[in-house]
Order: sequence, then C-alpha cells, then structure tokens
Amino acid sequence: MSEYSSTLPGMMLCAKQHQAKIVAVRAMAQDTWAVKVHAPELAATITPGQFFMIRPATGSDPLLGRPFALFDIVRDAAGQPTGVEFGFVKVGKMTTLMSQWSKGDEVSVWGPLGNGFPVPECRHLICVAGGIGQTPFLGVIREALGLESYGIPPRSITTRPQQVSLCYGVRSAGYLAGIEEFTIPGLDLQIATDDGSTGHQGYVTQLLQNKLAQNSDGVHVYCCGPEPMMKAVAEICKAAAVPCWLSLETPMACGFGACFSCVTKVVEPDGSWDYRRTCVEGPVFRAEQLVL
Amino acid sequence: MADLSVSLNRLTLKNPILVASGTFGYAKEMTAFVEFAHLGGIIPKTVTPQPRPGNPPPRTVETASGMLNSIGLDNDGFDQFVAEKLPYLTGLGTSIVVNIAGKTNDDFRRMATRLNEVPGVSAIELNISCPNVSGGVDFGTDPSLAAEVVAAVRESCSIPVIAKLTPNVTSVVPIAKAVADAGADAVSLINTFQGMAVDWKRRRPVLGNVLGGLSGPAIKPLALRIIWQVSQQVKIPIIGIGGIQSIDDVMEFFLVGATAVQIGTANFYNPGLANQIIRELPEALATLKAESVKDIVGTLQIPKRD
Repeated sequence: MSEYSSTLPGMMLCAKQHQAKIVAVRAMAQDTWAVKVHAPELAATITPGQFFMIRPATGSDPLLGRPFALFDIVRDAAGQPTGVEFGFVKVGKMTTLMSQWSKGDEVSVWGPLGNGFPVPECRHLICVAGGIGQTPFLGVIREALGLESYGIPPRSITTRPQQVSLCYGVRSAGYLAGIEEFTIPGLDLQIATDDGSTGHQGYVTQLLQNKLAQNSDGVHVYCCGPEPMMKAVAEICKAAAVPCWLSLETPMACGFGACFSCVTKVVEPDGSWDYRRTCVEGPVFRAEQLVL
Repeated sequence: MADLSVSLNRLTLKNPILVASGTFGYAKEMTAFVEFAHLGGIIPKTVTPQPRPGNPPPRTVETASGMLNSIGLDNDGFDQFVAEKLPYLTGLGTSIVVNIAGKTNDDFRRMATRLNEVPGVSAIELNISCPNVSGGVDFGTDPSLAAEVVAAVRESCSIPVIAKLTPNVTSVVPIAKAVADAGADAVSLINTFQGMAVDWKRRRPVLGNVLGGLSGPAIKPLALRIIWQVSQQVKIPIIGIGGIQSIDDVMEFFLVGATAVQIGTANFYNPGLANQIIRELPEALATLKAESVKDIVGTLQIPKRD
C-alpha cells in the first residue's frame, strides 16, 4: 500500500475538466477511428503516454468517461496547440457512438491524467506497439527525434537517442493505423502482421528480438498493446537486461484515482504485491514493477 | 439569500450537498476538479481496522445508465488513515464525515473511540451496507444487529453518528427504525443494489468478484422510493443517495424526505458536479418560493384520489 504522497503525481495538478467540441472524426484503418477535440489547455499540457477521459456532454447511457492516450496535438496556423487527436477501435457502445460523432458535437473531457513515458534518455529507443497500442508512440517518437516538445514548461532531453525504432504489429495490413503520421525521416519503422499481408509475418516480438540481437547496448524499450504481448516483451527485455516500460490499459471509471477500479498487481519492496491504481500510479510502469 | 445550511440532529452542514464514500477517494485525488471548501461535506472512502487489498479486477463495469462495482473496501487500514489522510481532510474547510466498516461491534467501537479524539471529524458514517465484502453486510440486513452496532458507536464517542443502510432487504423501514431508536443522528439511504454482469460468449461473470453493487442514474427511482417509504415512518433525518446527476435530481430527493444528499457515481464522470449543484441550489429553492432547504424537505404533495 502506497505512500499517500505518491498517489498524486505532479501531473495531476494541471488536470482540468472541460466542455469541448469535436473538430473532426475520420476513419484511420479497419474498425479504427480518430477524433479531434478542441481543447487548447489540454493540448498544451499533455505529454506522450498520458491520457484523458472523454464522454458525451449530456446523457447517461453511455455513462462513464473512457480513457484515451494522446495520439497527436492539433495546432493552428501559428503552431499553437488547439486540440488533441486520439485513436480507437470500435468495440462497444461508447466507441460506436464516438465513431458517429461529427464536427460541433459537445463532449466533456478531463485531463491530462496519469504518468506518461519518461523523457527518452538512451542510445536507442525502441517502441513496441500492438494493435491500437501504437497511438501513444507518435508523441514519444516526435519528442525523441526533436521534432516536437510537450508540456509546460516543455520537457527537454539531455541525451537524445541516436536511433529511434517503432516495431508495430497488427492482425492484418488493413488494421495499420496512422502509417502516414509514422512515416517520419529518422524513424526506423518495422511492421509485423499475423497474416503476412505486409511486413514481417508473425509476432511483433520477433522484430524486437532481432533488434536486440544486433545491439542491445543503451537500448530502452517502451511498449503498449495487448497484455500477452506486453508480457512477452517484458520477458524478452529482462533476458536482454534492457530497461522496459509498459503502458497498461485497465478498465477505469474516473481516471483520477477516486474509484479504485483500475488496479493492477504492483510488486512491493518486500517481494509481495499490492493492487495499485493504474490511473494515478501508471498507466506507464517499469516492467519489473508489475506482476503480469 | 437562501439559507442552505441543514441540521441532521447533532450534525450541522453549511449546505446539503455531500460527496459519497467510495466516489471521492480521500479528496486529494479530486484537487484539480473540486472546490472542497464549498461542499456541504466530504465522506472519504470506507476505512477498516486492518488494511484490505480489495477484490480482484475487473472491479467495475458499466451497465445501462449505471455501473456495477466490486472494489471490496480496498484501503490501507485505520491507523494509516488517521495518521496520513485525516490531517489533510480536516484542513479542507468543510465537514468531514468518516465512513467506517468493521466485522464486529468491537471493531466499530474501537475506531469510533479513536475518531472521537481527532479534532475536525464532524461525524461518523457507519458502512453496514457494503455488498462486496463478507462480514459487513449482515449488520445492515438485521434490525437488531444494526441497532447494536449503532448503540456501540454512540457509547464510544460524542460525535454524530450516521448509519448508511443497504437497499438489499425486503424493506428498509424496520432497519431505519431500529437504528433511529438506537441513537443514530441520521440515516444515509441507500448504498448500492447487488447486481451482476455476464459475458456470455466467455461463459464468465464480468466482475472478478462475480457480484457487485449497482449505482448511477439507473437506481434513482429506487432510491426515491425507499427514502419516501422511510420518511413516512422514521423520524430521524435522511441523507439521500442514488444516481444524482443534476440539481433537478437533488430537489426530487428533498421533496420525498431527504434533508441532505450525497453525490456518488457522478463524481466519476462529472467531478465538478457537486460544486455546480451548490451554485444552482438557491435558484431552485426560489422556484418553489422557499427560503431554506428545510422548508422543502418532505413537502411532496400527493393528489387526493376521487
């Protein structure tokens, strides 16, 4: 059970609840959508790997907000942040409704929430994404390549990675979402598909293993995706003695630590475990902190 | 200016809008969203004598206009609460109602005795109604056991005592009567309704604990009904709880007999709601030409039948 002070990271203090309007909705890939929301304050403060909660401004079904990671910051002609874009797979009641949102629809949004990925300080940053788990990595990669900075004051990097890779695995080519955005000079983009419709046929973990086999010195791994994949990535990194961070997606009701829904098993100093809230102590954890 | 203050026997609140236990963390989590000092009161998450890890996830699932939860009283235990959370809470400029749960009368007695020594604790709310843990629910479903625990706490402290009751009984009335007779200052009506969600394709319950408690707008009509029934037969003040998400909901609770209300599940999806309702309350009272909250409590008019 946590020290009380540690349950409220500094990031939370700039969180706010906003009434906001939808700017645009677009199809990103098969069953996959992206929504842009006008929320200048959120856009100015959120950092890669952090999330926010969103729901319709009115009504009670669906009821609770849903958590989404930042995909992209929307900027005006002068480069000022005006909103956030996030991606999602249409799977249930809320995501079906969200895919039908249109410009001008009113929503309630609160954030930024949680602890994102640390500022990348390593020789080679490898991001490993499964399915819709790629969304937080656009910001991570842009920051690592020095193309964009996030937060107020802007986060700075002392040791910028010399190499940045994204290993991105999906079921089939149709599910690749945001490939245009991820086509960035300086990014080593590696794709795996289960059916071999594009890229490497097989698991994305094989791509990671290949990279680590070439040179694992000074590598840091950031991972987001389905739990079995993250577990495999954590094991590969442990075997290679490479530091690994995982971003968890656990069901949550509030996103700010009030409901105690989103717990995951976190290792205690004495080797036992305790349920900790993913929303305020994560969603990004060091892999060795977790009982997967 | 309307008088928003309310009295629940020995407990006086600056206004009738509280936030419900288990939906507001220990308040610190809500810092970014809530003006604490404007609230009528804060009821932090239930504390138990010993730390409890809580139930296995998934702990919540959304249902039609509501949610099921089976958190399982996940908390760091009474000593840690008193040492680390209570000093923060009692400095927030609003009434702090400490919600406690135990497995025996002695558990409740010991915690009440300690809380009596802490300056700034406005009242104790007895959670004898959590549907998600064994050992607590029995108090709340049996009038004589409920009365015993209330009497034990009354003997142990001089601060006001509120009994939070479960709706998972044939009638709440006899239990409310029993705790009133045992000396409770007020009753909080109601805790969650026991429920269940099923994932038929996987042949599994959705919640890790199989059963959970239903809350949210879906239960508001049930809460109104129970408060109405209890208010007809029990003299002590009622704190209404159940699916409140607007000033209109709050006014409905007052009319059926609640003297104060708790905002619960809505804190999760609209954390600024309690502050908003407090701002809207004077105008709503004016609509009924009332100058104070107590002027409208229990003033529902039932049309005569022909």
